[in-house]
Amino acid sequence: MSETKGTSLELEGIHAGYDGPDVLHGITLTVPQGQIVTVVGPNGHGKSTLLRTISGLTARRAGRIRLGGQDLTGLRPERIAALGLAHVPQGDLLFPEMTVYENLQMGAYLSRDPQQFAALLEDVYALLPRLKERHGQIASSLSGGERRMVGIGRGLMAGARVLMIDEPSLGLAPLVIEQIYEVIGTLREQGRTILLVEENPARVAHLSDVMHLLDDGRLTWSGAPAELLEREELLETYLGG
Amino acid sequence: MDILIAIITTGLTNGALYALATIGLSLVWGSMGMLNMAHGALLALGGYAVFSVATTLGLPVWLAVLAAAGAGALAGVILYICVVRSLIRTAGKNFETSVMIATVGISISLQNALLQVYGGQPLKQPFGVSGAFRIGDSVVPWLNVVIILVSVVVMLGLALLISRTRMGRAIRATAQNREAALLMGVAVERTYLQVLALSGAVAGICGVLVSSVTQLSPTLGADPMLKAFIMCVVAGLGNLPGAVAAAFGLAMIEAGVQFGMGARWGFPVLLMLVIAILIWRPNGLFGRAQIRRM
Repeated sequence: MSETKGTSLELEGIHAGYDGPDVLHGITLTVPQGQIVTVVGPNGHGKSTLLRTISGLTARRAGRIRLGGQDLTGLRPERIAALGLAHVPQGDLLFPEMTVYENLQMGAYLSRDPQQFAALLEDVYALLPRLKERHGQIASSLSGGERRMVGIGRGLMAGARVLMIDEPSLGLAPLVIEQIYEVIGTLREQGRTILLVEENPARVAHLSDVMHLLDDGRLTWSGAPAELLEREELLETYLGG
Repeated sequence: MDILIAIITTGLTNGALYALATIGLSLVWGSMGMLNMAHGALLALGGYAVFSVATTLGLPVWLAVLAAAGAGALAGVILYICVVRSLIRTAGKNFETSVMIATVGISISLQNALLQVYGGQPLKQPFGVSGAFRIGDSVVPWLNVVIILVSVVVMLGLALLISRTRMGRAIRATAQNREAALLMGVAVERTYLQVLALSGAVAGICGVLVSSVTQLSPTLGADPMLKAFIMCVVAGLGNLPGAVAAAFGLAMIEAGVQFGMGARWGFPVLLMLVIAILIWRPNGLFGRAQIRRM
């Protein structure tokens, strides 16, 4: 199998859906190593389904997904996670009765190396100092912003080669959204490979290397962030300005 | 004073038995959304396993108790592989109902299999301790002390396993959020298998203890199963420490009523109390706001 140099995640003609008809109609995109690729689009048009399909939570009906050159066809979510994909799902999906520390511990579930765990934990605490302060607190008692941070921290604890983050701004106050995107800005400086999903392109344009517009299960536009922000007619049509 | 000691002895012994029956049921119910109606039959299986290994084969009793735990665990594994796994895949949203009906059938089959193999006459079980000690004028049988000790040791062991080990963390994570556990790389199906095996092992040991104060019969698990169900509901689903507390508390009250008002009043008063608790707190004493689903 020939690995495309510098490409971490490749999607080719992905069709997927739940019980009814397809939600995704042939998605093709690549996430090059060290870049942040962002998928923007209105709610209910398949952004979360796209991430769920990549991580194996939602069954794919057609198409091919490769992670670091390895084909993910037919693999279950826990196998895909083991191959180096971390998914920070929409709505965090924390373990509500575990402490912050235990949630982070679960993030590193697949790693049995205590030294690696300590190093990852130190990185996460440096990036999200609030989590260190709250490490003994039960996850369900945290604020929305703190929960989001635990979700991101838990995703980072996997030490994965690709991180997928589903709408990190969802349901948060503007000030908290800013904090969260500052964190993602730091991840960008660290050279992480990230596939990001967001409803509002203006929020993520400065963070993204490539942006895709997902509309009704199809990628209708792809290119550099600055170009998308100039295409006012696209923003008007798809995102209501 | 004598009555008080008798009440405490009976209450603690029954509490230990109820608690042990309850944690096995509650573990599976809380983490998989599966009400295992065959849990009582697994108790009976444990009781007969100890009989076969110790009485029939003549091996030491401690080995027979381990064999009872092993038989229960094996039954849990078989239950998962043959029935539960395919129900999870095919029944979808109806899993909770389907698995309840399926395990009722398994319970009946298992009880009849035991009847076929061992016959209908009650058998004397080899696990037991004779003798008693006195506190003042009251007599406390050593058997009751052993039952309480064994139960506590098994419960502590299970608590350590669930709270401290990697496997225990995976079990709790799966119970709290199945999808998130999958994303962390937890092989959820293997976790379910482990949960049923653990619950089966605890049921096996519980069956040995229960049959040591009564006798062996294929339906010996029915009463503990009913009590375990009540404890789960009173404590709130999936709350293991709460279930243990409810088991000891209610057993104590039941024993008090039995000694104060006569044995036949124990169970009715217990049930009245349960109804009152559920009217007061519909999610149970320590219940979560919502019931966990698969």
